[in-house]
Amino acid sequence: MRRSVLLTTLSLLAMSTAGQAFAEDVNLWVRTSSAAVVQGLADKFNAEHDDKVIVTPITAEQMVMKLGASIAAGAPPDAVVMDLIYLPTFAATDSLEDITAFIDGLPYADSLSPSHMRLGTFDGKKFAVPMLPDASTIAYNKDLFAQAGLDPEKGPTSLKEIADDAEKIHALADDTYGFMYVAASGSWQVYTFTPHIWAAGADVLSEDGRTATIDTPAMRDTLALYNKMWANGSTHPTSRSGVGNDAVSAFASGKVGILMTGSYIVNLLTSQYPDVNFGIVPIPGPDGGASSFAGGDALTLMKGITPEKKTAALAFVDFYMQPSQQVYITEQAGMPPRTDVAAEAFASFDPRNLIAYDTLAAAKTPYTFASDELFVSRTGPWLKMLNRAIFDGDIDGAIATAQEEFTRILERTNP
Amino acid sequence: MSRANVTNSTKANGVPPVPVAIREPIQWLGLALVVPSFVLIGFFFLLPLLMTVWMSFFDWPLLGKSHFIGLGNYVELIGETQLWHSLGFTALYTVLVSIALFAVSFPLALLVDKPLRAAGIFRTVYFMPVVIGFGAASTLWLWLLNPDSGVFARLLLDLGLVGSAPRPLENFWPTLGVVILMVVWKSAGFSMVILLTGLQSIPNELIEAAKIDGANAWSRFRRITVPLMRNSILLVLVLNVTSSMLAFDQFFIITQGGPQNSTISAVFSIFLASFTSYRLGYGAALSLVLLVVLVAISSVQLAFLRTRPEES
Repeated sequence: MRRSVLLTTLSLLAMSTAGQAFAEDVNLWVRTSSAAVVQGLADKFNAEHDDKVIVTPITAEQMVMKLGASIAAGAPPDAVVMDLIYLPTFAATDSLEDITAFIDGLPYADSLSPSHMRLGTFDGKKFAVPMLPDASTIAYNKDLFAQAGLDPEKGPTSLKEIADDAEKIHALADDTYGFMYVAASGSWQVYTFTPHIWAAGADVLSEDGRTATIDTPAMRDTLALYNKMWANGSTHPTSRSGVGNDAVSAFASGKVGILMTGSYIVNLLTSQYPDVNFGIVPIPGPDGGASSFAGGDALTLMKGITPEKKTAALAFVDFYMQPSQQVYITEQAGMPPRTDVAAEAFASFDPRNLIAYDTLAAAKTPYTFASDELFVSRTGPWLKMLNRAIFDGDIDGAIATAQEEFTRILERTNP
Repeated sequence: MSRANVTNSTKANGVPPVPVAIREPIQWLGLALVVPSFVLIGFFFLLPLLMTVWMSFFDWPLLGKSHFIGLGNYVELIGETQLWHSLGFTALYTVLVSIALFAVSFPLALLVDKPLRAAGIFRTVYFMPVVIGFGAASTLWLWLLNPDSGVFARLLLDLGLVGSAPRPLENFWPTLGVVILMVVWKSAGFSMVILLTGLQSIPNELIEAAKIDGANAWSRFRRITVPLMRNSILLVLVLNVTSSMLAFDQFFIITQGGPQNSTISAVFSIFLASFTSYRLGYGAALSLVLLVVLVAISSVQLAFLRTRPEES
């Protein structure tokens, strides 16, 4: 009797310690802007599981630096929710954990945002899954369209049309502008400008990201139209030096006809500026077509993660991919990472979200190993070209210099 | 044991005198007392410095493996136009901002030196911006300068001084102008305090004597105040030049290098090489070049500082 009690106690003790050993803490880094949604998902996951996801917010601008330093120090986090544009850079330096088998085994593998999957693939191996996607779009003010004699229910379908519309809207009043974008931020200008080029069937980099293809007729036409809208005054003057915060408030004030923006704007405007009567259209090329930049965050595991933590982290992925969490993500961030859940995810949301969501399946992202240096940096060749061509009008010179500088950087950074 | 005893006893024995210092039992204590500073300097200055020198001989990416390339980074930076442009811009900024700071802080020092009760309040007011960090001050000014929601634009528009909101950050000279304005607002108080201590160290008797001799205010200022403040003035210049050569936050935050990469300071170019291009080795080589330039400038200035007024 006594012996059996002892045995039971021992086995209970063993079970409890074993249970502790199996409960894993997954240390997850997230850029600050996404931290609230990811924390929300982690809380839901942690409430149902023994394994815990611990979210650490990192300032977006410092993510690459801090992650690079942590890898060099041999102490990276277990997983990171990062801007998808950096995935090729980290994959190429052998910093990420191969999760091809996991992804291929998912029943919904084919419905994951295609551009996120492409950016997370290197050398045929898959390293990341989409988490919080968004897509660049155009928002236009229906009231201003009506006042300018344009059809408010049918937004512009080409950049040429945008230029004409913008001129008519600016003609309404001196302080009313037809067109606005954020020209002094690399991340904004890669987000809203490259879709014009893609919509025309061209690209700024080759498929493998190793060659620059800046000098295309589509690029010339697009820059010429932007320059025209700047020169004739129909572009909002803050476009030039703005870094992002001013654009939404300018649009919300009803003084801007057409705004280059992202899918997140639908939830933002409907919640904070419910009086703005706006429509959403995809971003067109100079003569038509439609495209979008697939942006946002993807979840990736860092190389060196233990098998136990890997299992826990992937369980978290499968958890947030379930339809109920997809609805939560849509509610909080505007768009789900799965492209097959529109009916459930958007059922109770503004239908204008669907326009951006529909473009996500066809949206692109530049596949590059030097996104900071080429596109994101305020001092990089992408912004230099756009500024020189749009505001100084030197389109040929700007394109030639950019092609040269892109090529020089790619030669050095290609893995 | 006192020094006198030691000397006497050696004399008496006819043994050659032993240098006193070696026998001083308190010697090891002195060493022990400076060890903490040596450790700190070693860990936080010498070691990083040696590490920087070491890294500058490598192709050392932020991500991935590094490999030795000898003087490769140095050969490359000689041919890099951006570096020389940055150094040129930093020199231009340093000259302009040092002049502007001095032109503002010296009159301020003279003003708050007056024996009025309000002088204390003014001293505090002028010194207040100094305690704000450069990063915070730059962020504040970035907002103040915002053409749509900033205070400056609204103020100038409401006063009817301008027809439309000014956008200084779109062109080079206005950009440099507002950055210098910000730095003067932020740092003039510090220079003022140093100059004030110089002013207050001048004995009143000298001024009184000059007055009795019939010197007017201008000659008293030129012949007595300025020469006797020489060291404070030089100290202000050394500090301002050094901190201006290392300028980073104001350009990183307010101008972000724009317009058209014309306001990239030397430290900013090191940041870009290291954290935008992910080339830590090249950034280390750039840092060492800047270090050499700074040491050269500072040693010239310190040489001036070391000469006593009466010797020159």
